[in-house]
Amino acid sequence: MELQTKGKVKTMENTTLTPEKDSSGLADAIDRILDKGLVINADITIDVAGVELLGIKIRAALASFETAAKYGLEFPSGTNLETASWKEAMIEKEECPQCGKRVDREELLNIACPWCGWESAKAKKRKEMKVRAKVEVQ
Amino acid sequence: MVRLRPEETGLKELLDRILDKGVAVDTITRIDLGSLDLLRTKAHIIFASFKTADKIGLDFPEGTDFNTPAWRDLMTKQSCPVCGMESRREELEEEGCPWCGWNYRPKER
Repeated sequence: MELQTKGKVKTMENTTLTPEKDSSGLADAIDRILDKGLVINADITIDVAGVELLGIKIRAALASFETAAKYGLEFPSGTNLETASWKEAMIEKEECPQCGKRVDREELLNIACPWCGWESAKAKKRKEMKVRAKVEVQ
Repeated sequence: MVRLRPEETGLKELLDRILDKGVAVDTITRIDLGSLDLLRTKAHIIFASFKTADKIGLDFPEGTDFNTPAWRDLMTKQSCPVCGMESRREELEEEGCPWCGWNYRPKER
């Protein structure tokens, strides 16, 4: 009985570590658009009886705050760009492939994910090289 | 075996594709009444992701700062064919993918 419950606990732990990535769904789609940014450019003219009545020129860029800040889009006048959040937004971030948290790209790539401990191939290689160097010194 | 972008199906992939390729809508409509030109409309509309927009030279709104590192990254980064994560192109080609370790010409030891 005890063993069984232990087994259950273990599987629970395992499931919490798998990435919670539902690759479909509206929320994910919106995330994607805002993250990549969307450019909408349009030139529209309407003539009535040979007279140009209306001309519309649209240059629009749609993006999340973070993406907008990264690509240097202009913010409405009066926005205070000196707050800590803006500086944070300028740090390049990447989604951890294991737990899905957005973390500092350099840290994720060179050390490990600070949330779940996932290591990239580069970090593993570095570690291996360090160990080898130590062995050689000894 | 190299699998191309595993586990990406459905809405996400569709959206990725549309944004990456861009969508152009060009329409001209004309309504004549007898010999009278009643109504003419012309519309040129384009949707694209930032990356594609930059590649094909679309206008961005005035006041956009093009000197941020993100603009440079757009041109120099490539996504890995196995895991789909982005990294610098030279790094991907010379040393392999820093994320998943994929390497199309492993160095002989």
